[in-house]
Amino acid sequence: MMTFVGKRILHLIPVLLGISILVFFLLHLIPGDPAMTLLGQEATPEEINRLREVLGLNEPLYIQLLVFLKNLALGDLGTSIFQDVSVLSLILTHLPATLELATLALLIALLIAIPLGIVSAVKQFSWVDYVSMFFAQLGVSMPVFWLGVLLIIGFSVNLNIFPSFGRGEPLVESILMTIQSGNLFYIIDSLKHLILPALTLGVMSAAIITRMVRSSMLEILNEDYVRTAEAKGVRSFWIIMKHAFRNALIPVITIVGLQFGNLMGGAIVTETVFGWPGIGRLIITAISQRDFPVVQGCVLAIALLFAFINLIVDILYAVINPKIKSN
Amino acid sequence: MKKRNIFSKWLLCLGLLVLIVVAGCSYEDPESESAGSNSDQNEGEEAGSDNSTSNSKSSSNSVANKINVGLDVDAGTMDPRLSRDTSAKRVVEIVYDGLIRLNANLEPQPSLATDWENPDATTWIFTLREGVTFHDGEPFTAEDVKYTFDTILDPDFKAPYASLYKPIDSVEVIDETHVQFNLKEPYAPLLTYLDVGIIPKHVAEKGDSLSSNPIGTGPYKMIEWKKNSKITFEANKEYWGGEPTTGKIVYNIIPDNTTRVAALESGDIDFVHSPLSPQDISRIKANKDFKVVETQGLGFTYLNFNTEHEILSDVKVRQGIAHLINKEVISEDIYQNMDKPGKSPLIPASWAYSDEITGFEFDKEKAKKLFADAGWTDTNNDGVLDKNGKNLSITLSTHSEDPNRIQIVEYLQNVFTNNGIETEVLTNEWPTFSTSLMEGNFDIGLVGWLNLVGPDRSMYNQFHSESGSNYGGYDNARVDELLEEGRRVLDQSKRTEIYQEAAQIVTEEVAYDVLLYQGYIAMYNKDLQGFDIHPTGSLYGLKDAKITK
Repeated sequence: MMTFVGKRILHLIPVLLGISILVFFLLHLIPGDPAMTLLGQEATPEEINRLREVLGLNEPLYIQLLVFLKNLALGDLGTSIFQDVSVLSLILTHLPATLELATLALLIALLIAIPLGIVSAVKQFSWVDYVSMFFAQLGVSMPVFWLGVLLIIGFSVNLNIFPSFGRGEPLVESILMTIQSGNLFYIIDSLKHLILPALTLGVMSAAIITRMVRSSMLEILNEDYVRTAEAKGVRSFWIIMKHAFRNALIPVITIVGLQFGNLMGGAIVTETVFGWPGIGRLIITAISQRDFPVVQGCVLAIALLFAFINLIVDILYAVINPKIKSN
Repeated sequence: MKKRNIFSKWLLCLGLLVLIVVAGCSYEDPESESAGSNSDQNEGEEAGSDNSTSNSKSSSNSVANKINVGLDVDAGTMDPRLSRDTSAKRVVEIVYDGLIRLNANLEPQPSLATDWENPDATTWIFTLREGVTFHDGEPFTAEDVKYTFDTILDPDFKAPYASLYKPIDSVEVIDETHVQFNLKEPYAPLLTYLDVGIIPKHVAEKGDSLSSNPIGTGPYKMIEWKKNSKITFEANKEYWGGEPTTGKIVYNIIPDNTTRVAALESGDIDFVHSPLSPQDISRIKANKDFKVVETQGLGFTYLNFNTEHEILSDVKVRQGIAHLINKEVISEDIYQNMDKPGKSPLIPASWAYSDEITGFEFDKEKAKKLFADAGWTDTNNDGVLDKNGKNLSITLSTHSEDPNRIQIVEYLQNVFTNNGIETEVLTNEWPTFSTSLMEGNFDIGLVGWLNLVGPDRSMYNQFHSESGSNYGGYDNARVDELLEEGRRVLDQSKRTEIYQEAAQIVTEEVAYDVLLYQGYIAMYNKDLQGFDIHPTGSLYGLKDAKITK
């Protein structure tokens, strides 16, 4: 197992290097540069040129790339041109917010998708199946920002149950604060802030995972060993959970892993609608300002996370199906 | 099966443990507690000054000690010398004081400077307020003023608005309470631009970053900044202008226009202001729980004509195009009257404004005649005007961030096409679009100017042939002369004449076609009292506001 993990981590290096170089060139090839956005519309060409000089933007592109890679190798992601703080500190304040949101969104998605998927497979062509497939279709086709606004109008403006925007204390911190002070306010406040954005973000994944669970279950339920188990008189609940679901999990885990990656990236819209201080919004703002170091750093951080999730998915395969490990 | 049993036992234990912990917990909002005690304090003070309210202490008439404001973007930096975005300005104006502060009519009022005089046209002497301290307790002195402007003028400091202060030659400290500005040439607009926050020299020199830890002399101190989430301020009890009425102000960063207004409706925030979506405004106006106040803003939205373009260099073509634009339709149908039809680069909020400079009315026949005068007629009957075998074709460009501006260019494309102009629309995100503007690589661009605190600000950079923001390459010797004179002459009535003449010329020659005067709108909780709207969008007035329920 260790060599497997070690190899995978080694594979990461060329991937991340490739991504860095690609992002670097993409950013430098599109028009507009930070000096212009930094100095605003009233700046003279001389002022812009002087700032470009200070920022090192007048160097040939390959020199800039080498400087960037050298700093990267030294673990230095640079400083934000606009905010005057290190890119690493920006990532460290914004990435946990997105992770928190994506994790809860995935949790919600799984809580909806797994029971719904199993039931619609077991009761194929029943009304339960039709209703859940209708919602799965709806979930995939609903625009995220629209659902978000709808939830805000329903639950914040009209019912006044959940806050309409923003983040409470970080969830982990709020749990610690609650334990320390014995005041449930912290954790409930954090969850109240989380619930609408997580639901918005999770619905589409729920829809996709439901369909995956359903089709995967349908396939397994038709296998011989399921029929044998039935013939042996095993209770149908255990057949579904132990014999069928466990085997149906492999493709589901793949899709869940991919979904988690999507949630990290797809959080941009949700974060904007709910004013959630996550990394998606950080990237969008940085792109519109041409804050090169921030964009590069954030993309790298997300790529690293994505690769890490894939690694976990692969390890999970091996745990669920020992045959894969021996291969 | 055995394994499963052990697992479920563990689960049961864990569940019980959580239950015990939860049962031992309480539930109370720690903030509401402190706000409650503070509001008692406030009421106590009021009761002392006014007997009639002395019984209100236990009644429902309580004062909330916090005002929640919704803003569209996070501040980039809180250093007043470096601030660029509107949110940074909203922070700076309550944390810092400038030498002057502009009132709602954009006239300079004493702030850290109590008085000023001009011994001659290139010398300004400011008398400074005594007994003012920074938030860290250190006294404010003339040295801080000198340091602030010295750094702004330092080219390596990258101050975005340095060009506004370029005519300053040096700043001298006369004594503790007097500073002298020596100018290279007479510069009338200077006073208006001296509202930039004065920073503490002793902090900046230590190398401490004022970008994220602002220390000013203003009515509020910043106590917490959660990036992209919220900024919290606490009242400066020692403020020279009197202690602010409300103890805390929170700027909540909510990027989405719709969510920001929904947050107002749900009661999560108390105050929102422009930029707003026109569609949301009528809904809030109809709701009795909110107050909506409108005033003329300090910006205009305009079409920038590239006067170096081979077709548009002909003034008759530009005038013809101007005749095709129905500004009322744009104002009413796209902006739902939030922004009003524009006339000239002088905005109504300015003392130099004249409503006699009007531009070109919507008249298709006049447009057709002007095009014909310039030699553009439809010779081959294909519906497109042509001259010497070439079609009259232009590109209308704008940026993609503002859906209303996209609607304007699409509407204009439709009108232009129906009147024989082959029109292409190009929308790009802001950095790409603004680069094309600055490089002069456009035909007609739809853009806006903000924060036009005086006529110099709305004309010099835009129309002087040698200035940075004259993207369309407009060049008129008389306009150059007038704009320079406007900077030299100190008398306001003379300056009014000068700017009106210049505005008349540029409007006549259609360097710009000013489509809209931007409105400024604030919408707030009806219980918020004592707030005066300011055309710059300044929230300094919140220091005298409170929420009474």
